[in-house]
Amino acid sequence: MRISRRTLAAAAAVAVVLPLSSCGSGDDGAGSTDASGKVEGDITFQTWNLRANFKPYFEGLIDGFEKKYPGTHVKWVDQPAEGYADKISADAAGGTLPDVVNVSPDLVAPLAKAGLALDLDKSAAKYRKEYLDGAWASHQIPGMTGTYAFPWYLNTGPLFYNKSLFEKAGFDAAKPPTTYDELFADALQLAKKSDGKVATLANVPTIEDFGRYGVELMSKEGTGFAFNDAKGVELLTRYKELYDAKALDPQALTATPESSGKKFLTEAVAMNPGSALDLGNFKKQAPNLYKNIGITDQITSTGKVNMYVMGVMVNSRTKHTPASVAFAHYVTDAQNQMSFAKKVAIFPSTAGSLDDPYFTKEDGTDETRVRIAAAKSLKNAVNYTPVLFSEQMKTALRNEVAKALQGKESPKSALDNAVKACDTLLKQQG
Amino acid sequence: MASSSSTARVRRQLPTSPWLFAAPGFLVVGVFILYPFVSTVVNSFTDRRTLIPGEFVGLANFRELLHDEMFWIGLRNSTLYVLGVVPALVLLPLLLALLVQKNIPGITFFRSAFYTPVVASIVVVGLIWVWLLDERGLVNAVLEAIGVGRVGFLSDQWLLLLSAMAVTVWRGLGYYMIIYLAALANVPRELHEAASVDGAGPVRRFFTVTVPAVRSTMVLVGALSSVSAFKVFSEVYLMAGPDGGPAGEDTTLVMLVQRTGTGLTGRVGYASAISVVVFVVTVVLMLLVLRADRKEET
Repeated sequence: MRISRRTLAAAAAVAVVLPLSSCGSGDDGAGSTDASGKVEGDITFQTWNLRANFKPYFEGLIDGFEKKYPGTHVKWVDQPAEGYADKISADAAGGTLPDVVNVSPDLVAPLAKAGLALDLDKSAAKYRKEYLDGAWASHQIPGMTGTYAFPWYLNTGPLFYNKSLFEKAGFDAAKPPTTYDELFADALQLAKKSDGKVATLANVPTIEDFGRYGVELMSKEGTGFAFNDAKGVELLTRYKELYDAKALDPQALTATPESSGKKFLTEAVAMNPGSALDLGNFKKQAPNLYKNIGITDQITSTGKVNMYVMGVMVNSRTKHTPASVAFAHYVTDAQNQMSFAKKVAIFPSTAGSLDDPYFTKEDGTDETRVRIAAAKSLKNAVNYTPVLFSEQMKTALRNEVAKALQGKESPKSALDNAVKACDTLLKQQG
Repeated sequence: MASSSSTARVRRQLPTSPWLFAAPGFLVVGVFILYPFVSTVVNSFTDRRTLIPGEFVGLANFRELLHDEMFWIGLRNSTLYVLGVVPALVLLPLLLALLVQKNIPGITFFRSAFYTPVVASIVVVGLIWVWLLDERGLVNAVLEAIGVGRVGFLSDQWLLLLSAMAVTVWRGLGYYMIIYLAALANVPRELHEAASVDGAGPVRRFFTVTVPAVRSTMVLVGALSSVSAFKVFSEVYLMAGPDGGPAGEDTTLVMLVQRTGTGLTGRVGYASAISVVVFVVTVVLMLLVLRADRKEET
């Protein structure tokens, strides 16, 4: 058989045209939103970097579900923390998104907009009352109606400080700063006393910091960003003072939360936000620091601390909606959240769980003290990061903040630029 | 001896057989090279996003590039990278190859040692250099001890870029050294001997014998290193962080592609347009190097 030129030309044309086909709207392929049928079938559950430390817990959880619902089979996959959003986006774009997925609110927003997240207000409204109101609302998307993930665990944490560094600067280590004014004053003093060798903070202000400082982050309608107001400019101006005095670490402009955590561990930085989970790390990795560790509340002008929310989303294209919804609920129900919380320093998002003695009764240890304080603060905590604030927006803000700190832009014009860039990205997101 | 009918059969089969043998190759090239390439070009004319197919927007992405400050920063840094790294990667590995060329006892150790950075993981290499150049790292400790004071290798825009270039050169030395060693092995010894007899010293022999003999290899090294320098990602990403240094001032074009086009809200169409620019510049760069080589030959 001879391969003709025409055949070759046709093959080449297909190769060229094939990518164009992906620009079309594509097959909708939506699954059912009805979760009321029989709970059965094989589903896949994806977690976010949890296998290494919690394998027995999740295996037990899945066993429990499969026993409760014979005829179901749950395949558990775990993805590393690094590049998790990229993995989800590749799966979502390739149509291979698992049936039940561990997400954060900012990951849910684009998935919901693309029609890939099941609206639980429609499919699982009966479970709504089991969760804290704020937690349930955390997976609602501005501009859309509905709730797109079950709230799972919550996290918040105190501000850790190095008592020894504070004492060396002449402060009473038992009285850490509790307001922004005190924090900035102490930081400047500490830098001065150490001749610029010890910084108090290691991260530039993020959108959460602006929120905690009392800055209005978005317009009331949720259609644009507003963190360039007078309060936002004030916060950035004060950070610039810190940066100039080396009270903010000189490498803060390129720091990540991990790198600033290491700076705190090596006692190059005097304060760092963290969670109860960090105490174990300090004990193991930096015993000297652990001896000098001070714990204080997050500093906030609003009276509401920041919290992080994790969720469990159901893929709207799942072929087994009842089983997927049932499993997502099972993972996040009060009993299973409580049992997970006892294995790791996180907090359940189910109503009433935070009143459990585990979160209210002191036993004299630091871990318990941090846990109780955090659980108490969670009752009116806020997830300050807007769900529509994408990675690209975070980069835009960090870059403009860096320009202001370096003196290349005034704080006002830097924030104006950041808001403009974020608004443009918001419009492009559709 | 084959009959005439079987010869005819073989002739009839011949045109098909090569295609069948080549088919797996074509398939791999088509699926993993041509398809992604054509797809990138097509996407560059759309407003495609990660989860939204997008529509044809003509040259809008390319027009937007002209007004995108980050694009110009990326283009500047990628170009500076070529200018800073390529001359060093053309000359230094040649000198290194000359040093380790001789067959003296123990020289294999040095050849292996110089090649080690090439096989080391770039992530590990990046982390080690970050530790070394940190404000409280070894290099700064030494500088402070000798009274120079701490230098912000990882916090200053230009020092960061220079540090990343140094790492690229450090990693590339061994690789290009091996290429030069192969080229030097082919330089006739008689030429050196003749030059020596004529009274040429080592420096003169280097310029009159060695350099002309390995000139085509130098062009090859120049072309390879300029393409990889223009497309640099890992070194800058690891040392400057995902934002590309303070205020993104150390961003390179490939970092910009990664930052713009990935994640759930990635602008795939726009990132593809940047990729097309990178491709065009790379091709132009190759053509310029090869053209310069041809001119010198004539």
